[in-house]
Amino acid sequence: MIFRAVEDTDLIRQATRGSVESYNLLISRWEKRVYNYLLRITGNREDALDLAQDVFLKAYQNLRKLDDPGRFAPWLYRIAHNEAYSLFRKRKPEVDGETIEPEATEMGVAVGATSVFPIELSLAVASALERLSPDQREAVVLKIYQGFKFDEMAEILSCPVSTVKSRLYTALELLKAELAPISPRGVS
Amino acid sequence: MSCSPFDLRDYYLKELTDPQQRQMESHMQDCPACRLELEQLRLTQAALFSLRDEEIPQRIAFVSDPVFEPSAARRWWNAFWGSPGHLGFASAAMLSAALLATAFTRMGGPAAGGLSSAQIDSRIQHAVAASEARQTVRTTQLVHELAQKADSEHQLRLVAESEMEYARKREYAREVKDGEWITPASN
Repeated sequence: MIFRAVEDTDLIRQATRGSVESYNLLISRWEKRVYNYLLRITGNREDALDLAQDVFLKAYQNLRKLDDPGRFAPWLYRIAHNEAYSLFRKRKPEVDGETIEPEATEMGVAVGATSVFPIELSLAVASALERLSPDQREAVVLKIYQGFKFDEMAEILSCPVSTVKSRLYTALELLKAELAPISPRGVS
Repeated sequence: MSCSPFDLRDYYLKELTDPQQRQMESHMQDCPACRLELEQLRLTQAALFSLRDEEIPQRIAFVSDPVFEPSAARRWWNAFWGSPGHLGFASAAMLSAALLATAFTRMGGPAAGGLSSAQIDSRIQHAVAASEARQTVRTTQLVHELAQKADSEHQLRLVAESEMEYARKREYAREVKDGEWITPASN
């Protein structure tokens, strides 16, 4: 079993007292996850990196407002979600927030070159994710790739758990139809 | 319609309680349709995992710039006032200093450079007399002004009454001249 010498909550407490080193250590634990979350909802590496930097800066400025350090992850992703959607609104100010489409122009590029899976499968997955609505895609990213629980997703997306489940299950049905159209095996 | 006691997707995503999970596991052993559904979910997730996380192209870190950091004296000052114990000690020290200063002042008396009681009484009497004199002059002025004002108003009233009497008599003379005099009806 692996124990972390210092927990995130300890780093958060030290960072709120002004320890930049502690905050940098906290960033090093979360930057890859936050970057990949932003990459999958924006579909653009440059935007994802810029947004990730903004997210960690904003989180540092507001760290004292975090009541429960144990809820750091959903709190951080809530900031990331808001930053991403602020960017979408700036780019398409005339579009209503509910119908904003992230720039998914580079989603195909995000296919991992070092993946152990066949490249065709990765491309098919990227293509299937692109066809989802932004809300559905974000629900899949938060649940499947980031591993959040439903109540945490509801906090991040600022919507009821029922809405989260509806988006996720609709997305899974669409993905299943495209990616797992298997014939019954051993089923009479 | 699903035959499982709970949502199969909740079970797969481990969003059920432990007893519910166990109930679903038991159900899965006897239900081929649900097993197939579960297998499809596993395949879907496996396919999604073919998209691997990328390394961040540039590490994020913040630099603590000494320019924006408070000085050592400032940090001590902030730490001092940020501590309730220190704050209590400072309050007690200030209170003690105030008490000592008060006691020392009282002990000094006239020898310490103050005035004697007779001098203080004399100055008070002088100040009171000056104030009363100023008040008397001011009262006299006010009475004089009020008398002048009353006289002026009386004069104005006499002039106004005289004017009204003149106007009334002239109107009466005009009516008599024009033959428009009407004898008041007698009952």
